[in-house]
Amino acid sequence: MHDIRVGTEDVFKRQIELASRNFALFKEHGVRAFNVMGAIGSGKTLLILRLAERLKEKGLRVGAIAGDVAGDDDYQKFVAAGLVAANLNTGDDCHLDAHRVGHALESFPLGDVDVLFIENVGNLVCPADFPLGTEGDLVVISVTEGDDMVRKHPKMFAQTDVLAVNKVDLASFVGVDPMVLVDDYRRLNPHGAIALTDARSGRGVDELLTALGL
Amino acid sequence: MHEYSLAHALLEGLTEHLGRHPVQGRVKAVHIRKGELLILSEEALAEAWRILTEGTPVAGSELRIEKVPVQIRCPACGYEGPARYVSDEGWHFTVPVLACPRCGGRTEVVAGRDLAIVGLTVDEGGPPGGEGAPPVPPG
Repeated sequence: MHDIRVGTEDVFKRQIELASRNFALFKEHGVRAFNVMGAIGSGKTLLILRLAERLKEKGLRVGAIAGDVAGDDDYQKFVAAGLVAANLNTGDDCHLDAHRVGHALESFPLGDVDVLFIENVGNLVCPADFPLGTEGDLVVISVTEGDDMVRKHPKMFAQTDVLAVNKVDLASFVGVDPMVLVDDYRRLNPHGAIALTDARSGRGVDELLTALGL
Repeated sequence: MHEYSLAHALLEGLTEHLGRHPVQGRVKAVHIRKGELLILSEEALAEAWRILTEGTPVAGSELRIEKVPVQIRCPACGYEGPARYVSDEGWHFTVPVLACPRCGGRTEVVAGRDLAIVGLTVDEGGPPGGEGAPPVPPG
């Protein structure tokens, strides 16, 4: 019995290379891109639509890529709102990756947008391991998911840039204190920016724009 | 959730390596490095390995996982080293904080997102293919 040293290529090396390629493509076109993550039903799509409304008022052109396992429901919402949009079905995968996004970008008119939101598959776990090449990450939690969502997904929140605590209008109905989520996030991620939002009414969307640096 | 695709990628890398550098005997263990920031279940990864390697030359090999701690670099003050950790008994976890432990600045991750094979344990006396190899059909 003996040990042999073997150095295979890092499994994520190719993902990181592809993410860097996407990053360079965004820079080349002057596009500010964001990876929007969060659980199913957290309100990612509506929040993107609200952000897009505000950005349009500022004279910026907004695009969105709808990442989903199947279907084009979110894509249709983006199209109906007048966004430059693309649909990206993963088949069965529970997350987007830089490779898939790179392919979607091949036919995406990056020259027609200033800000691009890439809505990841509804999932609070897997997307964190797969950088897409965006300049920032936004994670959306709705208060209806419970006040323990941050501490249940510590690695996700330790690594992301911006947290939106959404559906704050429902907090009292579900007995959740949004500040518990905020405090947990601050402990894990002292640099993370935070906005409390209610995408339905548009409350907090301006704060979220500021948090994203837009 | 993506342990199977990552186990598959590891197996592809190993198969390619063994094609170029064959080993004599049975591969008993495959040693991998796994960054602590990766959200991967070690149990699921080991199970995926067991299933995906069936019928391959490394069938029956055990996946041995070495955890790679996070290393960060601070562009502001030049700190490079381990991260500070947040832990809480009630939380049942310990998580690295990616802010600089010296100046509080935003840092870059230098290590902690790795996933690669670093070594093999080979039993020269064992037949290639291992216990998990499929039986040769009669006739």
